[in-house]
Amino acid sequence: MAQNGGESMKTIDSKIVYERVCNALLDVNTNIDPRVEKLFENYDGPFAREIKENMNIARTSKMPLCQDTGIVEFFVWKGYNVHLTSPLKDTLERAVREVYTGSGFRKGIVSDPLFERKNTLDNTPAIIHIFEIDKPVIDIWMIAKGGGSENLSTIFMLQPSESYENVLKTIVNHIENNAANACSPIIVGVGIGGTSDKAILLSKLALFNPSTIELLHRYDEKIGEYSQMANELQERFSNLKIGVQGLGIGPTVQRTNVLNYPTHIATLPLAISVDCYLSRTLSVVIE
Amino acid sequence: MQEDITNTFRKAKVGEKIEYTGSMLVMRDIAQKRLVEIDKSGAALPLDLNGQVAFYAGPTFAKGNMVIGPTTSKRMDKFLEFLISKGIVATVGKGRRTQEAEVLCVKYKVPYFVAPSGCAAYLANCVTNWEIIAFEELGPEAIYRIEVTGFPLLVATDVFGKSVF
Repeated sequence: MAQNGGESMKTIDSKIVYERVCNALLDVNTNIDPRVEKLFENYDGPFAREIKENMNIARTSKMPLCQDTGIVEFFVWKGYNVHLTSPLKDTLERAVREVYTGSGFRKGIVSDPLFERKNTLDNTPAIIHIFEIDKPVIDIWMIAKGGGSENLSTIFMLQPSESYENVLKTIVNHIENNAANACSPIIVGVGIGGTSDKAILLSKLALFNPSTIELLHRYDEKIGEYSQMANELQERFSNLKIGVQGLGIGPTVQRTNVLNYPTHIATLPLAISVDCYLSRTLSVVIE
Repeated sequence: MQEDITNTFRKAKVGEKIEYTGSMLVMRDIAQKRLVEIDKSGAALPLDLNGQVAFYAGPTFAKGNMVIGPTTSKRMDKFLEFLISKGIVATVGKGRRTQEAEVLCVKYKVPYFVAPSGCAAYLANCVTNWEIIAFEELGPEAIYRIEVTGFPLLVATDVFGKSVF
């Protein structure tokens, strides 16, 4: 602990942040989430053998679970009194560069999105969001976000008078029409309220594990969770019969979370984000 | 040899599983866009598509392996008629295609297969050889010719007009 202007500052060595993030990026791309593996235990539909063996091969060989190792997104919750020894953005981008070039993960980022689309060759830049919190820690959430699932992201600017039933229908229709293109059984993240950008952000945060999402309310008490709505959506998704890989057998959606935020009197933003079945999300807390 | 494959493909019924051994041309969005542009300009294509299988994918290379898996086929639907006109006999990818694409599959007897997605470490073991054929500067978006053994495919749209989706 160092003193600075009378405030109690906590210094965290950026080398530790770098190492922990590197390990997490390796882990998230090669070690399947145990809950996903369990989900497939009793699945014997199309490609059951390939899906199960892939998890074992990736774990033992350290080859990536999917060739699309994604664009890396970071959501960082940083204590207002935490002092890092290097700029955080540099540390995170260095970690992505090191892991993606050093482990044979796909370099899948192009600069100049509309015209040249030239590969940056090191999978950077990452997408980085930093939020200040009132805790002496840095909590780094990361997702290796594949392009197939990202293409399903969407925002609806609904009317404030919209019925609950129509909101449910809007979400279910979107999933019904698109889940077959995103490597089901998918994870559905819903963000309601805020502004258009806030809603999208919430829908991304909603893709993380329930135990991680629980922390959100402690970081920002205005972020709420509609658990009952998530359960109702999950039940409707179970009737879709899109199935594993869109081939009609097994679950379509493995998990749904709905996060909410205060909004403007004239608006009802509804954002939907989707993650693929591999659920490559992880968080590291450094104290 | 290639004629046998074409016949096998054309007999395949929706939902049927095939372990494919042979070659495929790996190509995705930008490579196909470039091929169309080259063709429109009147120049010769940098490769021969006749009798080939197009695999919508973009690989990475890890531990001495080509790590590969299908990408979303729907994005390639606008290039399907072009590929067929150049002699492609089947396409491989993931997910449901547009109705327009399914009509083309039937009309020209070019079945569409899905390969298991999110299974790249498994599929890496099915790839026995690879080479870059065109657009090397595109990295994972270049065109590769790959040789595969026992590569798992499932008939998603057969030539009789049935779709698994």
